[in-house]
Amino acid sequence: MSQLITPYRSAQPTGRDGFIQLLRGEWTKFRTVRGWVIAVLAVALLTAAVPVLLAKSATTNDAITCVRGQCQAESQNFATGPAGTAVVDSFYFVHQPITAAGSITARVSSLHGSGSRSLPPAYYALQPATQPWAKAGIMIKASTRSGSAYAAMVITGSHGVRMQYDYTHDIAGNGAAGTSLAAQWLRLTRSGDTVTGYQSMNGTEWTKIGTVTLPGLPATAQAGMFVASPQFVAAQGSGDNQLRAVTQATASFMHVRLRGGSVNQAWRGTQVGGEAAVPRDVRYHTSCGKPHCPGAVPPPQGGHGVTTGPGGSFTVTGSGDVAPFVPITDPVGVTLLGTLFALLVVVALGAVFVTAEYRRGLIRTTVAASPRRGRILLAKSLVVAAVTFVAALIGSAVALPVAEHYLRANGWRPPVWAQLTLTSAAGLRVVLGTAAIAAGAAVLGLAAGAIFRRSAAAVLAVAGLLVVPIILSLVLPLTTASWLLRITPAAALSLQTAVQRYPQVSSVCAPYHDCFPLSGWAGYAVLAGWAVAALAGALYLLRRRDV
Amino acid sequence: MSRAIHAEWTKLRTIPAPGWLLLAVVAMTVGASALATGVVKCPASCGDDTTKLSLTGVMLGQAAVAALAVLAVTAEYSTGMILISLAATPRRTVLLSAKAVVVTGVVLAAGAVAVLGSLLAGRMLLPGNGFTTAHDVLALSLFHGPTLRAAGGSVLYLALIGLFSLGVATAVRDPAAAIAVVLGILYVIPIIGDVALNATWQHRIERWTPMDAGLAIQGTKNLAQQAIGPWSGLGVLGLWALAVLLAGWLVLRLRDA
Repeated sequence: MSQLITPYRSAQPTGRDGFIQLLRGEWTKFRTVRGWVIAVLAVALLTAAVPVLLAKSATTNDAITCVRGQCQAESQNFATGPAGTAVVDSFYFVHQPITAAGSITARVSSLHGSGSRSLPPAYYALQPATQPWAKAGIMIKASTRSGSAYAAMVITGSHGVRMQYDYTHDIAGNGAAGTSLAAQWLRLTRSGDTVTGYQSMNGTEWTKIGTVTLPGLPATAQAGMFVASPQFVAAQGSGDNQLRAVTQATASFMHVRLRGGSVNQAWRGTQVGGEAAVPRDVRYHTSCGKPHCPGAVPPPQGGHGVTTGPGGSFTVTGSGDVAPFVPITDPVGVTLLGTLFALLVVVALGAVFVTAEYRRGLIRTTVAASPRRGRILLAKSLVVAAVTFVAALIGSAVALPVAEHYLRANGWRPPVWAQLTLTSAAGLRVVLGTAAIAAGAAVLGLAAGAIFRRSAAAVLAVAGLLVVPIILSLVLPLTTASWLLRITPAAALSLQTAVQRYPQVSSVCAPYHDCFPLSGWAGYAVLAGWAVAALAGALYLLRRRDV
Repeated sequence: MSRAIHAEWTKLRTIPAPGWLLLAVVAMTVGASALATGVVKCPASCGDDTTKLSLTGVMLGQAAVAALAVLAVTAEYSTGMILISLAATPRRTVLLSAKAVVVTGVVLAAGAVAVLGSLLAGRMLLPGNGFTTAHDVLALSLFHGPTLRAAGGSVLYLALIGLFSLGVATAVRDPAAAIAVVLGILYVIPIIGDVALNATWQHRIERWTPMDAGLAIQGTKNLAQQAIGPWSGLGVLGLWALAVLLAGWLVLRLRDA
């Protein structure tokens, strides 16, 4: 006789082993470890406090100074443009009044630059004869006041024909970029406050380049020829010092025709923006964004003007630029570098979230409960990324307005440095970017933890990729430093920069001034790529190895 | 004491990690130094301090030194080995001193190799980049007093970084936290100092923080422009190491293992 024994079965319903349950399990693990909760609070606190402390101590006497109506930032003149931002508006203008309906046409037959002859020998060879963004062309401008609205058709040193207006706008014309174009016909027609730019090879067949509106263009504006040649900028060493030299360019204009002008008016030459486009009598000077820069060497500069030739031709010489003002220093970005402390905590947190399981043997329970290991890695990544994202978001949302307040009090203010508010696009990018960097770094730390199974090794590896490139970029020459910040996850810090850069303004992008070679989210893509690659490696090893 | 040192030495040499880390100290130091001397060009940078440039890698190699020192302590806490160590050597001071002696010893040895390798790389690479007597740049040589001081000082610097990290690890006990604290102090503070917008703060950081002050020992040119003199800078790092070791020693004495 045998007796059947029914095994015990729990009356509880069977639990589901879905992803949601796994996610909840990982969240429970995270929130019940006191040290980790404290670490998350530390992330929020460090993200908020360190930038504010840095902003508070960021006093300088090099930010903005105004003497007799002429304002300078970082030893360079600027004017306030139509949009209320700082602009560079200094060039030689040969002009006549133009009424509400009129046009100006000219043929630019040559553009030649002559650089500074007094550069240090090592840099003399670096200097191109004609600056890539040297400009010669025709312009309709509200007035000869520096900073007033304008639209222009220009031939550039090596960027072809462009239509530019109101400083920040730049439309490429026809003709290969990267080449020097000569003998082009240019035309601007005005109808009220609308200006249309045309380009032609022969003066008969015209191609429209763009139609732009200049709000509030007065009934009588100024139209004419102009020449500008921006400063030559070069980095010294790791870019902590920048060498700037005044250059000039000369262009020949022929067949100049103005319609809608007054009768019997003569062409007048005006140096817009005054002679002191750079500190008076300085042909080159170094500027490092800090009070203690190596001294400047001031040779004289001159020779701007216009000469008329036979057959109504003009030869115009000028220097300066008509472009947005791009400051060297990025005070918001520099201030937010303070979040690197929080980032180290984030990396450690991500790593420990995995390695602690190995240390305590909990990983066996975890894997027994959810045998599909890819899901474990995903659930853990989501939890740690979400937690650090929120902590850093709160921290940076507090840091930005307070830091901005102190920066403005310390002289880093508009129009040169735009104010970043939480509702502005740039401010939002900085705050969300800081949170996203934290989340990315946490996932990278977590993946490294799964790969190495040792927290020390994981933190060291990730910090080595995230923080060490920055310090090396400050001592290595600029070209090597730029590469380092292109290929390592440190590239993501570009999201924390605030100075807007324009392709039509030559500037030195030095890590020393918190400029990153990849801009914005492109830099973040590098961090994301590293995180995904590390997760893939971690998944491979997690599947292959015993726990 | 000698038995405790012998025990620590046995612990260190019988696991693979320290060996690899010492190798990393040499590889990272020489590699980063060679990168730095390989990319600079004269005449653009003829005025650079070639000795300091050749020793750039110390900045990277110190990370491996820190890892070694941190592991020497935290690995014991991770595995529970610390209980046995304390049972065998109940006097905390002796145990900590023995660890410090052994870590210092191996770091001095690896550091010397790394620094000599870096200088050798600089001596071989720099002339090819235009740093020749034609541009008034002399080849690197240990017979040049300041270069010898920079080289020897860099080895001492690495040893002090080891002691500093050992102190942090003893105080913190958790490997991830200890590494994060050490890297934060070593790397993030100098980054902040370099880019700081205020000259006074920049000067203060260059003068009083472990890495910036300690690496002043590498300067051989324009010493007057350095924020702190070579030996005083190394002294500042020494004070940091001493203070942190003291904190570690207190924690070791007052807290249960």
